This record gives sequence, structure tokens and C-alpha cells, in this order.
Amino acid sequence: MTTLSNTANAGASVAPRRWRYVERKSLLPLLLFLPPALILFSLFVVLPMVDAATFSFFNWNGYGPITDFVGLENYADVLTHRNFGTAVRNSLIVVAVSLLIQLPLAMWCAIALAERSVSINVMRTLFFLPFMLAEVAAGLIWKFVYDGNYGLLPAVGSAIGVDMPFVLGDKFWVIPAIMLVITWKYFGFHMMIFIAGLQSIPNEVIEAARLDGVKRWQIVRHIKIPMIRSAIVISVFFAITGALQLFDLIIPLSNGGPSHSSHTIVTFLYQFGILRMKLGFGGAVSVLLFIACVIVALAYRRILFRVEHN
Amino acid sequence: MKHLALAAVLGLAAILPAQAQTVVRHLHITSIPAEVELMQSIADEFMAANPDIKVELPFLENEAFKAKLTTLLQSADAPDVFHSWGGGVFYEQAKAGFLRPVEDVLTQEAKDNQGQAGVSAFTAPDGHIYGVARDVSEVVLWYNKALFEQAGVDPASMQTWEGFLAGVQTFKDAGITPIAIGAKDKWPAHFWWSKLVVRLAGKDGFEAAARGEGDGFEGEDFVKAGQYFLELADLEPWQQGFLAASYGDASGLFGDGKAAMHLMGDWDYGAMKDNSANKAGIPDDQLGILPFPTIEGGKGDPTDTLGGLGGILFSKNASDAAVKWVEFFNSVEQQKKYAEAAYYIPIAKGAADVMTNPFKQQIARNIGGAHWHALFFDQALGPNVGGVVNDVSAELAGNSISAEEAAELIKEAVDDSL
Repeated sequence: MTTLSNTANAGASVAPRRWRYVERKSLLPLLLFLPPALILFSLFVVLPMVDAATFSFFNWNGYGPITDFVGLENYADVLTHRNFGTAVRNSLIVVAVSLLIQLPLAMWCAIALAERSVSINVMRTLFFLPFMLAEVAAGLIWKFVYDGNYGLLPAVGSAIGVDMPFVLGDKFWVIPAIMLVITWKYFGFHMMIFIAGLQSIPNEVIEAARLDGVKRWQIVRHIKIPMIRSAIVISVFFAITGALQLFDLIIPLSNGGPSHSSHTIVTFLYQFGILRMKLGFGGAVSVLLFIACVIVALAYRRILFRVEHN
Repeated sequence: MKHLALAAVLGLAAILPAQAQTVVRHLHITSIPAEVELMQSIADEFMAANPDIKVELPFLENEAFKAKLTTLLQSADAPDVFHSWGGGVFYEQAKAGFLRPVEDVLTQEAKDNQGQAGVSAFTAPDGHIYGVARDVSEVVLWYNKALFEQAGVDPASMQTWEGFLAGVQTFKDAGITPIAIGAKDKWPAHFWWSKLVVRLAGKDGFEAAARGEGDGFEGEDFVKAGQYFLELADLEPWQQGFLAASYGDASGLFGDGKAAMHLMGDWDYGAMKDNSANKAGIPDDQLGILPFPTIEGGKGDPTDTLGGLGGILFSKNASDAAVKWVEFFNSVEQQKKYAEAAYYIPIAKGAADVMTNPFKQQIARNIGGAHWHALFFDQALGPNVGGVVNDVSAELAGNSISAEEAAELIKEAVDDSL
């Protein structure tokens, strides 16, 4: 479910442009090249989505035929579930942290590391390394770092004389701990997008500004950032949808615990929909998440469109 | 997905006739390497005697097994035979038609072998037999004699609930962690709630509540179980960071001699060694089993035990060869090997007699003499209610829920699934 809604949103937002394309060019390439992608897309994206949406109106435990129609009961159950609010809150925190901490950090690193030199390349690779790690591996590594008995964090804590809490077993600390891992894991990706953008800025523009006596900060503020606007637009979009779909880091780190305090919407779906064998309930969560993603995608497009026209 | 599964099935069907051997895939959850070797050697022996059958032993870790089985059973990758704890999950699988009834294929010997309790545990409400019972297990209060001595706690003083709480406090005062618990996995916490329920409500009370009769799980005895649990949690008896600790962490902590007690199944005898830092765990002469404290006015019988009755189920595509393999595997002769190595207590009649391990012998006697051998609640009640029981148990251990609220949540889940 995680990747499909993303792709679906992207599809929805570019659809109108594609129609214009059809009018201009011949249909032949379309008929030749579209079917393979379309078949895969329908088989692995559309069909499961329709399935999940169908389940959401039934009471079904995953075994046997789907017959017990319950209408909107699953949706009511999701919205009144005692842990759903926490999951939504956590997902929103991830979005906020991604936008307010991760992206500015990535931008800062990108501006510092956009030059070409060997040492800078090494730094860049180091920052990008976490992104290349598999999510589950990264989660396990940090689980060991945070482990209260044998972990790195308590060892550092005791070296400086501070008694560190068992962060992953603490309802308060588990959220900042996960946010740290998320930032560490993904900021390198956004940094690379920004660097690519920065490197495409013609050198003459910067040099001309320098000759005019424009200060470093002003160059960043008024030249560099506006000129990589499209890179930022993409980054923000990835950050939001990625945050809404966060799953595989959480499972090895905290598994949504303690006491279901660190669930995201997707781990909530997995725990209460799949593991508890209430697939209708899970289907309802996924439909709600899908709607949220579509709203984000449409709203985002809308806002950008308006900004472009101003 | 259905189309893909269909394609896969057609593909398989095209390949299968080319194979001379019947393949039997036995999905197990054994993680101790030596025990897996034993299982493999039994399979090798069977295959040597039956060259037309090939036994494969795929493995899934406990938690992964529970999460994946539903999907697996409905895929082309479904195992022929697989591990089961019986109870609500098994009934669902049987009801949905994913299992093969074997009462006509199973030999009389294989049936008699398991005894009445074994056969009825793997008979679904529809009256068909879908599997065989393999082992019995009991959740007991393991304790570390050296730590008891060090803190000056007399194990005999802990037979009542008041005495038990006083003992826990003595450990706290002595700076020793009284109890190890793997509350991240939740089911280890649910053993505490379950043992209290077994003491307070007893067989009749529990079964009535599971059927949703009367006040159900909101009844007085169940609220009381929560209150007793909270009384214990108030003393902060668990190790630091227990909410982040898995079963393996807690088992290792106990095996390393860093906690005085661990409420866990008899399998922890081996697992505690395997999970400990030096792989040796607590030496036999320093390990003991405490009876779970009795509670005054409790409706349970003092002999009641809590545990499992594990077995092997046949999925709907199981062949007669699969039945043959399981009969061989579950025979007294083979099961004696498990008894000797003290991996579990076999149900096969007479197999347990060869056990030399005193702990396993004692547990076998407990179960044999029990008025009620309560099956693990999270399995007996099915995945949904069981999941809620596990949830609230972890929260009770963490002192973050009231006894009334805990009872209400379980009742709600039962009403929801009736």
C-alpha cells in the first residue's frame, strides 16, 4: 500500500498534461508503449487498491469468502479507535519534522557542499550513505544504538555522567528518537536533489552578483534558492508523501510501541488491520490514507499553480 | 493478485508431473540450532526409508510466522503441514476451509498416541480432526536461587500474593531486578494477566466470559486481575527499559543472572541458555520453579495450569505422504529424542518418560495433575481479542491503564467478534 498511493497521486497530478500530449502527437507510440506499463500498473496498483477499498465495507478476517457486509462500520471503528489519533498525530509530526528540520538541513548541507572537490565529494557520499541503506537495516542499527543495556547512546551518556533513558521504551523519548533516525536517513537524499539543482545554476549569474557586491547570504536567499525552485517543489512533495507512508523504519525500531505510542498511520494499519486479522478495518485505514494523500497532492498542485501565476 | 496466483498455480502444475518425488513442506518455528538439527535428522531418517517422499523444513520466526501465515495459506507457497497452537486461530483456519480433515487417513495408533486431550485440541467445532498434538507446555515462574539467597528471600514465603509482593519489595531494596519481562512483544506480559485470571476466575469464569456471558471480561474477577497486576506493577518490579525489551532480551537477562524471576513457558529452560551472553545460562542447581502465588478467595483450582498444547496442522493441499511424515515425526520413538534433549514435553504416550531433566519432569507432572490446563489466552481467544489482551497486559505492566479500562477493552473486543 505504501508505494502505490504515491504513484497514484503522481499519476493523478500529471493526467491533464498527458491529454494535451495525446492531441498533439500520434496515437501509435502510445498504443505501442503504454500497454506494458498499464498492465503492470493495473495489476499491482489499481487492482489491489480496488480490493482494499472493497474489503473496507466488509467484516473479513482474511480467511474464506467475503460476505459480511457492514457498510461504513469499519470507518467508524477506525475513526473512534483509541490509537488512531496517536498514529495520525505521529504522521503529522513526521511531516513537520521533514519540512521544518530535514529540508532546511539538506539545503544548508547542499549549499555548503555544492562545489566540486575531492574532500567535498567524500563528505557528500558520507551524507548520502544512510539513504542507500535498507530501511530495516537502518532501523536495526539504530535499535542497537538506542539499546538501554548495551547501546551506544547509554555508553556515551555514562561517559559524560548522564543517565540515559531507554529511549525506545519511553513514551516521550521514542518520538524524538525516531525523528532523529528519519532525519539522518533521508536528509542526504534531499541534499542530493538540491546539489543537482545548485550545480545547474550558471556560474556567470553568481559571479555577476559577486561583482555587484552582493553578500553570500543574499546570493543564497535571492539567487540560489529561487533558481532551484523546481528541485525544492519535488523535495517537499517527496517529503510529505514519504512521511505519510513511513513504515519500515518504525517496525524494527519500536514496532509502534511502547503502548502503541509511536505508530504511524501505516504501522497502525499493519498492527490492527493485518496482524489482528481485521482486513476490512485495515482496508478502511488504507482508503483514508489514500484520500489524505490525494488531497495533499491536489492541494499542493493547486498552491503551486497559484504561486506560479502570481 | 488473484490473477498472478492463478498464473503461479498453472505454472506449478506444469512443472509438478516432472517430479518423481512427493514434496512435503513442514513449516516450523524452531529457532534453537541443535533442535533444528534434530528435526532434520528425523526427516533424513524418514526420507531414507521413503525415497519417494522429500521432506522440506522451511522456518519462520515466531512473530513473522503469526503475521505471515494467513497470506501464506492462501498462496501457491502454502506449506503442507505447519505448526499450530490450536485455539481460536485454528478454528478460523478450519472454518475457512484451509485445512485438510485427516480423521480417515490418520492411523488409530497415531490417534491413540496423543491421548484424548491431544485429539480434542485439534478437532475443530465441525467435528473433523485437522492435525495432531505434538507437545504440551506450561508457563511457570522460573527463579534464580543464587539471587534469592543474596537478597535473603525465602522462596516458600512467596506462595501467597501478599508474600510474593513482599518478596518483590525485598529484591527492590537489595538492588536486584525482581522480574524480567519482554513487554515489547506483549505476550510475555499477558502471561501475568492470564495467571491471575486462572487463579481468580477459574475455568468456568473464563469460559463464560469468552462466550460473552454476563458481564464477560468486565466481570469482577477480571477487573480484580487487573488490579492485582497493577499492585505488582506499582512496585516497579521489572528491569529497566522493559517496554522496549523483547522476549529474547528478557530471557537473556534472566539467563545472565540479572533478574530474580521470569514468568515464562518451559521452553525458556533452553531459550534462556541460548539467549544468555555465555550461552550457558543459569546452572541447573541454581534454577528453580516457584508455584504461582495463590490468591485468597480465587475461584480457580490450585492445580490449574496455563500453557499450550502445540501441534501440527495439515493444510488443504497436504498429501497422504504429508500425513505419513507427521505420523513418523510424532511417533513415540522420534518424540523420545525431543524429550531426552529437553526441548519440549512430547504428548506422545510414553515419550516423556525418558525425560531426565527434573524441571521438565516436574512440569509434565503439573500438567498431568491439572484440573484445568488453560491454553494461552492470546491463542485461545483468537487473534483479535488475543491481541487486545496482549495490549492491555503490556499497559498494565507499564502502569498506564486502569484495571477497569483494561477489562472494558477486552470485553469490547469480545463483543466485537461474537
